[in-house]
Amino acid sequence: MKLTHLLKTTVAAGALLGAQAAYADVTFGALYPFSGQLALLGEESARGLELAVDEINVAGGVQGEQVVLERGDAVDNNQAIGEARRLISREGVKAIFGTYSSSRSIAASQVAELSGIPYFELGAVADEVTGRGLKYLFRVNPTAEDMAATIIDMIVDKVGPMNDKAPEDLKIGIIYEDSSYGTSVSGHEQAMAKEAGLNVVTSQAYPASTVDLSSVVLDLKQRGVDVVLQTSYQNDSVLFLQQAHEAGFQPLAIIGGGGGYSTQPTADAVGHDIIDGVLDTDFTQYIVNKDFTPGIDDFLAAYDAKYGGEPRSGHSLTNYVGAMAILTALNEADGFEPDTIIETVSAIDIPEGTTAAGYGVKFGENNQNERARMMGLQWQDGKLVTVYPDDAAAAEMRIKN
Amino acid sequence: MDVFLQVVVNGLLLGGLFAITSVGLTLIFGIVKVVNFAHGEFLMIGMYATFLITTRLGMHPYAAVAAVVPLLFVLGMMTQKFLIEPLMSARNHDIQIFATVGLSTALINLALLLFGADIATTPAYGLRTAVEVGPVRMLVGQIVMFGVAAALVIGLHLFLQRTQAGRGIRAVAQNRAAAQLMGINVSRVYMITFGLGAACVGLAATLVAPLYPTSPGIGTYFVLTAFVVVVLGGLGSIGGAFLGAMIIGLIDSLAGFYIGSDMREVAVFGVFLLILILRPQGLFGGRQTLSHVS
Repeated sequence: MKLTHLLKTTVAAGALLGAQAAYADVTFGALYPFSGQLALLGEESARGLELAVDEINVAGGVQGEQVVLERGDAVDNNQAIGEARRLISREGVKAIFGTYSSSRSIAASQVAELSGIPYFELGAVADEVTGRGLKYLFRVNPTAEDMAATIIDMIVDKVGPMNDKAPEDLKIGIIYEDSSYGTSVSGHEQAMAKEAGLNVVTSQAYPASTVDLSSVVLDLKQRGVDVVLQTSYQNDSVLFLQQAHEAGFQPLAIIGGGGGYSTQPTADAVGHDIIDGVLDTDFTQYIVNKDFTPGIDDFLAAYDAKYGGEPRSGHSLTNYVGAMAILTALNEADGFEPDTIIETVSAIDIPEGTTAAGYGVKFGENNQNERARMMGLQWQDGKLVTVYPDDAAAAEMRIKN
Repeated sequence: MDVFLQVVVNGLLLGGLFAITSVGLTLIFGIVKVVNFAHGEFLMIGMYATFLITTRLGMHPYAAVAAVVPLLFVLGMMTQKFLIEPLMSARNHDIQIFATVGLSTALINLALLLFGADIATTPAYGLRTAVEVGPVRMLVGQIVMFGVAAALVIGLHLFLQRTQAGRGIRAVAQNRAAAQLMGINVSRVYMITFGLGAACVGLAATLVAPLYPTSPGIGTYFVLTAFVVVVLGGLGSIGGAFLGAMIIGLIDSLAGFYIGSDMREVAVFGVFLLILILRPQGLFGGRQTLSHVS
């Protein structure tokens, strides 16, 4: 009698547990700055992840389980650490996706590494994110180094030939804001420019909070610089482009990098006629050769249906592509043990030209996606158009005059 | 030679920008003896107000003066009345500093909530047009700003020296207790001074807005230089602030061109420290008073 009772209880409990396992959802963390100064693009990045999760869930989820995202607000570095701890220990997430901001990513991924929880970086560009040799951190998006590589390639392949100049005849001037972002991108630019035989005549740092770049503009003008490379945030991008125009400085090309040069408000602030022809490098944007980025229209439609309107930057697309690559791979895995996850993800092999961002996915040294790359863009008639590389270009690059 | 002239003119015009954004601070810092860390955010509020008035009502940014200056005057008076005055009797005066830091953070986040982190562009109405005078290029907006800064400094100086209210303000600055014994309503003088200081920031905002895009953090771009200018000129000295602004502007521009952009801040703060070592009270600062010890 006693034994039967015990058996019955055990069976019942077992059934209950089994049922729970079958219907349970799998929880992942979504760690982004949702409030504070970085909220705009933090939120934009998170939307890409959410759209990927929606698509996966409609298709049956991951390993038959619906994916649930638990948000963590990485408003600053300390809170990024606190939220990563909460996601891991209280919410029991199987992995964390993030983070947009490099400094938040560096802080939070340290916590995940110590807890042995996989951390998927979908948007932060600083070298140090993957440069630290972490075992559980993977980065799908292109980096600061990729940004510099695209810029230098674009000069050698396009800007030089279009102006009938050999690389060594082009005078390059590099200016950058003096925090770690500007310093690291410009460092790569200098090294790669040297390798490519370009003539870098000056390299100057300035604080991002500066209210005057007229002396920098005057210096570039005096040196007869042909191509200006600027690594900057938004206000200093606007300031430089305006002051260059006002001082009558017209180099063959101005090439920017990242957020400061890519957003519509920057173009509106500078003036569409003044920014026309300015080059830029960034994540894949939306005016692009769609044969190279299959699925981008579906992404835009899903975005419009869920959030209304067009994406405010390429961050959502980049996060979407990264998350899709990871989640699709996890569907083939067996369970959500950390080591199973990283083993599965390490085996991902997606060729170029088959994702909505154009680039493929294969993790190489330090778990960095070695197929990720940035696109070359140009402001044409008030729109940011992809012009480089050729297979992704939606229009020909234009030169001034 | 032409380049040198251009660099010098750039420096002076930059000085005009620094002057107009720090005159208000020197009134508050020098007379109410409050380190107002929310100074930059007052500027930000003024710039957003100018932005809204120009874009919504289609008015010239300079016409926004009529609304923005009174708005900031009231805001300044209220800050003094409801935030600073209750803390004046606190045993530790550092508490006021924390209060203004708190106000600054609260205002930045309020702006983030209302306007988002993106930049807002005030229409320039031709103020960004470059004019050439001989070999030198200047913007219309910069010339106006320089002129207004000079006029404001002279106006405030006359007000403080020649009017009864101005004398009252100076008396309070020199010795709060004695001024009170002479029948001056110290609390009212503080409110008016704080309001005046904020109103100057409002004036600055309407001049700055067409030249720089507005964002919630824009105040932080100007506030550090404003403090440097005020300390360099001597606390509470309006003329000193103007001169200090010109010195900082010139050094910034000259060092930026002749030494290198990365060395600008080293040069600016190097000269700043040197002047303070030689003249701890600042260029025009008088004898240190103990008026805050009442």
